[in-house]
Amino acid sequence: MSAAAHPDPAAGVATERTDRRVELTLGALASFILVLIAGMIVFVFAKAWPSFAHNGLAWFGAGGNVDSQLGEIFNSPANPAAYQYTLHAWPLLYATLLTTGGAVLLGMTFALLSAVFIVEFAPAGLARALQPVVRLLAAVPSVIYGLIGILVIVPFVGNELIHQGRRKSVAYVVQLSGTSLLVAVLILTVMITPIMIAIIVDALRTVPRGWTEGAAALGVNRWRVMWTITVRAARPAIVAAAVLATARALGEAIMLSMVSGSVGFAPNPLDGLTFLFEPVRPLAATIVDNAEGLSVKPFGQTIYAFAAILLVSSFFLSFAGWAAKQPLKRYAGRA
Amino acid sequence: MQRPHLTAALALGGAVLAVAPATAAARPTISMSGSTSVAPLAAKLARGYLRAFPGKVGFRLAQGGSDIGVADVARGRVSIGNSSRDPKPTDPGGLVFNKIARDAICVATNRRNRLSGVSQATVKAIFGGKVRDWSQVPGAGIRGPIDVIVRTPASGTQDAFQKIFLEKTTVTSTAAQKASNGLVAQTIKNDPRAVGYVSLAFTRGLNDARYQGVGCNLRNAKSGQYLGTRNFWMVTRGRARGAAGRFIRWVQRSSAAVPIISRGWVPLR
Repeated sequence: MSAAAHPDPAAGVATERTDRRVELTLGALASFILVLIAGMIVFVFAKAWPSFAHNGLAWFGAGGNVDSQLGEIFNSPANPAAYQYTLHAWPLLYATLLTTGGAVLLGMTFALLSAVFIVEFAPAGLARALQPVVRLLAAVPSVIYGLIGILVIVPFVGNELIHQGRRKSVAYVVQLSGTSLLVAVLILTVMITPIMIAIIVDALRTVPRGWTEGAAALGVNRWRVMWTITVRAARPAIVAAAVLATARALGEAIMLSMVSGSVGFAPNPLDGLTFLFEPVRPLAATIVDNAEGLSVKPFGQTIYAFAAILLVSSFFLSFAGWAAKQPLKRYAGRA
Repeated sequence: MQRPHLTAALALGGAVLAVAPATAAARPTISMSGSTSVAPLAAKLARGYLRAFPGKVGFRLAQGGSDIGVADVARGRVSIGNSSRDPKPTDPGGLVFNKIARDAICVATNRRNRLSGVSQATVKAIFGGKVRDWSQVPGAGIRGPIDVIVRTPASGTQDAFQKIFLEKTTVTSTAAQKASNGLVAQTIKNDPRAVGYVSLAFTRGLNDARYQGVGCNLRNAKSGQYLGTRNFWMVTRGRARGAAGRFIRWVQRSSAAVPIISRGWVPLR
């Protein structure tokens, strides 16, 4: 009797010990990941430092031709004192902003409308078919999108959409061959939209039925219920979807390297429609295209500087996502 | 306590020493990495060498680009680094470049633009950006702006093209830079206005222009008439020795290696 009421003290100690052991092991694993991340950051920045140190803030500015600057860096003389570092990376940064920003804005609009359709307006059968398709699309590797882009879309844009006059008008500044901002943004949008749809659909489904039914009972139509209640309540998830999609767009390299233009050019919005047909090359694509030159020391350091910028951007991104979600939290809390 | 440990360590060391040469003598492995242009040739040569000396060595072939090959062999990660570019002043010290073959670089256009031939002056004008319209190029089959396609600065083919065709002329800043021979070929196939350069093995489906009046093909490259040829190298740390050394000497000197190389490249002898 007494043994049942008071379990064996030795057994209690043993449980405590295993618990403690598990805690320690998991703690060690978690700290190891933290150390790994910290180590990676330190490593990338240590490698990249000479490029930033040499250029100062001008690194982020415009000036000269970024491709010839990269060429100069690659062909630096052997003497470490004579290494070339001069780089004005603005066209690459600008290209990253344009492709990522364009794709996230387009994709967000499309994803929100599709998610609303799937959750609220689609017939049950269609919604059941759409959801697995969307999830499947989200998992397609980017190189496949790149292949479709380079084999189908780029030739179409280059040979059918851009006419000779437009090509001629800018021939001395830039080549319009089909690899362009337009194709880059379109394919990137197709790549990042499915994951946003999937997240937003899940979020819209978790909004308590009572809220929407209450509104409907008051005579509000479905469209208004959707916008004023369901979508508003799901805003934190929508922000999370946008952050995830932006991260994917920011880091996308292979596909962009194949379709975006392979030249460090900064498109000018004042060119009107031509702006969309001008080539760009974002940071991640630049890293992929030039990875072969990593062994040339100053060139490798410059590539690491690109990597450092992408790393910092993704940190800011997660922070911005967290900050944007804070004021929205009160909607999600009540159920 | 001290003694048994010491003897154990000695015994272990002795065993390792005894085993290491035995396995090495049984079957050394020659590892290679580097140029994507050299890789097809290196694979064929390795197969030929294994046919000539079955079971004597093993091969491991990776790619990555000329600069990767040079860096890998300098750090001792591979026994041979393949390079399609000549030695550079920035290369690490102590490397020996062993020439194994020559390869032709062709100036290529889309099939719809039957450009029959170009002179060196024309190549310089087009790739340097002085001439920007096909109507200004003698022999061109189309009119309209030129799309210049080149390789990224780290490419061995880019390095060779710059030295052999362009000399001091710098490539125009509007040129699109592609990361591989295959991507250049694909871009030219898609774009009737494009002009670029590829290794001879990649000219299928393209219109290859005569350069300085000589057609870009294997026969002209072998006879020495075609001027746009470059070297293929197998790079070793120090003079090539051991299994890798025997392989490179076989590639360079054996009469069995010549027919393998001649099928797509220019043998040295």
